[in-house]
Amino acid sequence: MGLRKAKPGLAVPRVLHKTMNLVLAGINHRTAPVEVRERMHIHETHLSSAVSALIQRAGILEGLILSTCNRFEAVVSAPEHIEAEPVVRQFLADFHHCDLSAYDQYFYWHRQEEAVRHLFRVAASLDSMILGEPQILGQVKQAYAVARQAGALHGPLDEVVNQALAVARKVRRETALGTAAVSVSYAAVELAKKIFGSLHGKTIFVIGAGKMSELAAKHLLQSGASAIFVSNRTYERAQELAQAFHGTAIRFEQLFDYLAKADIVISSTGAPHFVVRKEQAERMLAARRNRPIFFVDIAVPRDIDPAVNELDNTFVYDIDDLGQVVEANKKQRAREAVWAEEIVQEEVQKTMRRLAARDVAPTIVALEERLNRIRQSELERHRARLGNLTSEQREAVEALLRGIVNKILHGPITELKSGAGRPEHGALVQLIRRMFGVGD
Amino acid sequence: MHPTLLWLALILYALGILLTLPSVIRRRAALSPTSLAALGLGLVSHAAALAAAGAQIHRLPVTDVRSALSFFAFLATVAFFFVYLRYRITALGVFMLPLVFVLTLISAVRPVRPFADPAFRGGWLLVHIASIFLGYTALLLTFVAAVMYLIQERELKSKKPRAFYYRLPSLEVCDELHYRSLMLGLPCLSLGILTGFVWASRAWQGPWELDPKILASLVTWLIYLVLFSTRLSGTWRGRRAAYVAVVGFAAMMVTFLGASFLSGQHGYFPEFGKLP
Repeated sequence: MGLRKAKPGLAVPRVLHKTMNLVLAGINHRTAPVEVRERMHIHETHLSSAVSALIQRAGILEGLILSTCNRFEAVVSAPEHIEAEPVVRQFLADFHHCDLSAYDQYFYWHRQEEAVRHLFRVAASLDSMILGEPQILGQVKQAYAVARQAGALHGPLDEVVNQALAVARKVRRETALGTAAVSVSYAAVELAKKIFGSLHGKTIFVIGAGKMSELAAKHLLQSGASAIFVSNRTYERAQELAQAFHGTAIRFEQLFDYLAKADIVISSTGAPHFVVRKEQAERMLAARRNRPIFFVDIAVPRDIDPAVNELDNTFVYDIDDLGQVVEANKKQRAREAVWAEEIVQEEVQKTMRRLAARDVAPTIVALEERLNRIRQSELERHRARLGNLTSEQREAVEALLRGIVNKILHGPITELKSGAGRPEHGALVQLIRRMFGVGD
Repeated sequence: MHPTLLWLALILYALGILLTLPSVIRRRAALSPTSLAALGLGLVSHAAALAAAGAQIHRLPVTDVRSALSFFAFLATVAFFFVYLRYRITALGVFMLPLVFVLTLISAVRPVRPFADPAFRGGWLLVHIASIFLGYTALLLTFVAAVMYLIQERELKSKKPRAFYYRLPSLEVCDELHYRSLMLGLPCLSLGILTGFVWASRAWQGPWELDPKILASLVTWLIYLVLFSTRLSGTWRGRRAAYVAVVGFAAMMVTFLGASFLSGQHGYFPEFGKLP
């Protein structure tokens, strides 16, 4: 039985495999601690050679490896009669120079439809530590690109991974899974947008140049805010930060001369008392003709007097408030995840049906070929015993043989064609192939 | 008013409204095309119904309560489409469309009372009616924007995001909608009142200036004028302005409907209410 081995670097044509046999092995942040994930991690510089080595193993036709800080997944496709699991285990043991039995408890194994579902869920960020996180899609795309370049994707696995990327995009489009902010600094951006709509033309004022305020300011600038002022007790630190953001540094003593310019104030000084009190906020509002102000107070103890929130057109959020927003958003994402899972389920069914249908035509052709070969070879064998036949008789004999073959084939072919939608169809195709001795 | 066409519009509106609900509940970024199609078809049917009514009496079909409500509902739906296509506020339908539906429903079930007083003719009258209705529609939008603003502002102030927080547009968008519709509504209302005065001074005798509807419309106009000027100066921004817009809308509804029942000459029931 000739086994195909794809060689890296060669352009392998898109081969229609006769049946699909997918196996996926993986660990993630839930099944394995960081030490194990570290051990299994394959750095991106070695990824290409890893994939090439994987598909060179006997019995493996296609392969893909995804290795991030939170997960490691290796998925392969093999001919139907090959047990791919041991091959993959052996590959992992060899590549990482370890005894894989020590790590068995951390690995999960998925086959066929479950493997497809897992891939779809991973790409759609449903398996991620933070539901709806955007990085995983890029990581999957990257893994796909590497595998394709290594010539490791040219059949059903290629189609499945492509579908996974499409499903991820669909989930992103049709659910709000990735939209609500689940980190404090992004929550600040989200709130700012809820107040100001677009952030273009809006001014940020950072009081107290620390790590957190820097991060929040960075996100706000990335989201479109245009101007930034920085003020700090030590002027040099303010200058540093202002320079990094192409903004203006303000001396702390002159804070209130410029604060009214700000639409968004991010405050994180170490001051033990309030930096902005209600009267000062009132003056700011008057100077701004009541245009709204958003105070992000991430200092402990707080910098902005909570009484400021009582004023019209001001919104004061301290660190706890931002945390509450994040919690509410996480619940929101969990709700969206339910819709996303439905979409994934639907797409898995569609993909399985599509892959099954691809099995049918070649199988029918192979069946017909096989039986016709039998018909011809038997006729040849018994030709001597038939003696001399008139052309009429010969025709009759051939018609008889063809009739038998067609009637025998009718049953299986009908089953193959009609069963394409049903879940047991894959097993049916394999059974028919085995029964009639039709191999790869 | 062609009854079948109006009922058809009503059914399509109902269908459209129901179809918008999943998009709002599931926080989608846009309304489904099917809901928009249903509403659009409803609008077309509504327009046809109005056109038929207009053709029947050879003037704008606003001469009785039934037609006036229907015309207003029609304009409100047109306004909905304008605003939705510009701002893509998914929740807008929840605020505007039920009102449209109720107005159209009332209009469809009221008996037909054609009111073809020959006195009700003339170019000034047409301008008066058209600008009043345009003004009403624009100020309806001001009201809707104000309500959305108030709800969103409360959610943001409370710092506990609840259902509306996720589905309402930003305060800025509400504010912009409020401002722009006011900029359209107040001039239209002013023009309407002015042309109304001009026409009435020619057509009516007696102290028509004291007619309840006219007095009510002046009060409404004053409220919106105050809203406009404080908006310009910035004294009342945000929440206070929104409250005033709500009061203005209440005054508008009183003028539109309530005074009609009380008014003598300007009412739709000339047999009720007599001038002093």
